[in-house]
Amino acid sequence: MNDYGYLSIFSARANDLLIALGEHMLITFASVMLGCLVAIPLGIFLTKTDIGWIRSITFTITNVFNTIPSLAMLAMLLPLLGIGLVPAIVALFLYSLMPILRNTYAGFTSIDPHIIESARGMGYSTTQLLFQIELLLAVPYIMSGIRLTTVYIINWAALATLIGAGGLGELIVSGLGVYDKPLILAAAILAMLLALVADFSLGKVEKFFFKSAHSTQQQN
Amino acid sequence: MKKQLSIILSVLILMTLSLSACSSSGSGSGGSITIGTQTYTETKILAEMYKALIEDNTDVSVDIKTDLETSPVTLKAMQSGDIQMSTQYTGTALSAFFSIENPKDPEATLKQAKEDFSGDKFNFKWFDSVGYANTYAFAVRDSLAEKYDLETISDLKGKANNMTAAFDTSWLERDNDGYDAFKNTYDLEFGKTRPMEIGLVYDAVKEKDVDIALAYSTDARIEGFDLTILEDNKQFFPPYDASPVVTQKALDNNPGISDAIEPLLGKLDEAKMGKLNGKVDLDGKDPKDVALNYLKDQGMLK
Repeated sequence: MNDYGYLSIFSARANDLLIALGEHMLITFASVMLGCLVAIPLGIFLTKTDIGWIRSITFTITNVFNTIPSLAMLAMLLPLLGIGLVPAIVALFLYSLMPILRNTYAGFTSIDPHIIESARGMGYSTTQLLFQIELLLAVPYIMSGIRLTTVYIINWAALATLIGAGGLGELIVSGLGVYDKPLILAAAILAMLLALVADFSLGKVEKFFFKSAHSTQQQN
Repeated sequence: MKKQLSIILSVLILMTLSLSACSSSGSGSGGSITIGTQTYTETKILAEMYKALIEDNTDVSVDIKTDLETSPVTLKAMQSGDIQMSTQYTGTALSAFFSIENPKDPEATLKQAKEDFSGDKFNFKWFDSVGYANTYAFAVRDSLAEKYDLETISDLKGKANNMTAAFDTSWLERDNDGYDAFKNTYDLEFGKTRPMEIGLVYDAVKEKDVDIALAYSTDARIEGFDLTILEDNKQFFPPYDASPVVTQKALDNNPGISDAIEPLLGKLDEAKMGKLNGKVDLDGKDPKDVALNYLKDQGMLK
């Protein structure tokens, strides 16, 4: 019924595949970006605050988000935010909080207290200490959190189509509707490639930061 | 690295083997069948009716597997023997696996579905219709229909390009009756499209997230949410008559099934099915209760 096969679909439907890929990347990028903007400062705050219950409540809440099945999360956001891109990004953003928050927290608490003491001794102010030393040392941890989240979110973003947000899931679901196997496979392969490329390149960034953090630690 | 890879591979192979072992164990012999349903309500109500009638009149025990994503998925599941029965719509099933020969003739399309799906490829028994068709229908809010003076799909001309339309995702890909063919027939295109799960289009149009939705004509939310159906004045959509479909293998093993569901055929119409759907989708009742109550009211079940 279709005039394409498993390989020729990549040229025959190139336009549709690219649009869906673009939507998929936009959904992923927006939700991970929002996750970073919220979770990294929050994680830093949690390492600085002395109030224990704030910490445990924050961790509990973000943990609970991650236990909600993604389909249920989308369904719960429907009455609040309606359909389309916004609820999809909000749902995935909520999922991204926990791994980024945890890794930021772990990154900061793993810093050798001696380094901080000696930096203080050298006359670093709290702000200088945060941006010039602590953040640099914690970045590899934060990056691995972002990397992990990104790969997961690329997977979950395939469900966004159910609430009208498009993405590669749209081609998979519509392929299911007409039993178009090449279309289902092509969209699935693109989602897989996207996850692999994101994992690989963010891994490179992580390594780069690890090296520079390592040299910072040695300099001190 | 190589060792890891071989471990992963052997785990995957084991998983596939055990999964396929599971699925082949329930192949419909020995007095049990599984009915599959699509995601929307009427297929679940009908499945409960089939189950009640079959269990009442034969020794066959019936399982129901709900929410298979699409009609072609249910047909493929029947073909592979994972399920033995489902509700199918002539136009939908034919356009997924064959090609509709007389898209304007419901009788001929039903006959074609019976013939095409009885062949070796599927080997299904396609029963007569339960009495209604669940067709695609464009729905707008009553207020919008009044404002733009909309009665037929052709009335959308000149307005559609400023409208956002919601429809089930697979409509984009359908050959004979999908969006591309629609654009050609009616020579109009929507400004924005929002493909989504079919169950959400009604709320989307009610909440003004979109202006127009491609609804299923038997859905009670059309009336419940004050939506107006636009007439398909160019008869673009083919017939979608609903029939129970059973694998020939399950019928050979359990010949009583045909007689058990026979009383149901031809008894429903679009309005009746719409009312039953409404009891679930609007009043929140359980599909099973709705099905059993209907059968008792009709005297088909004690």
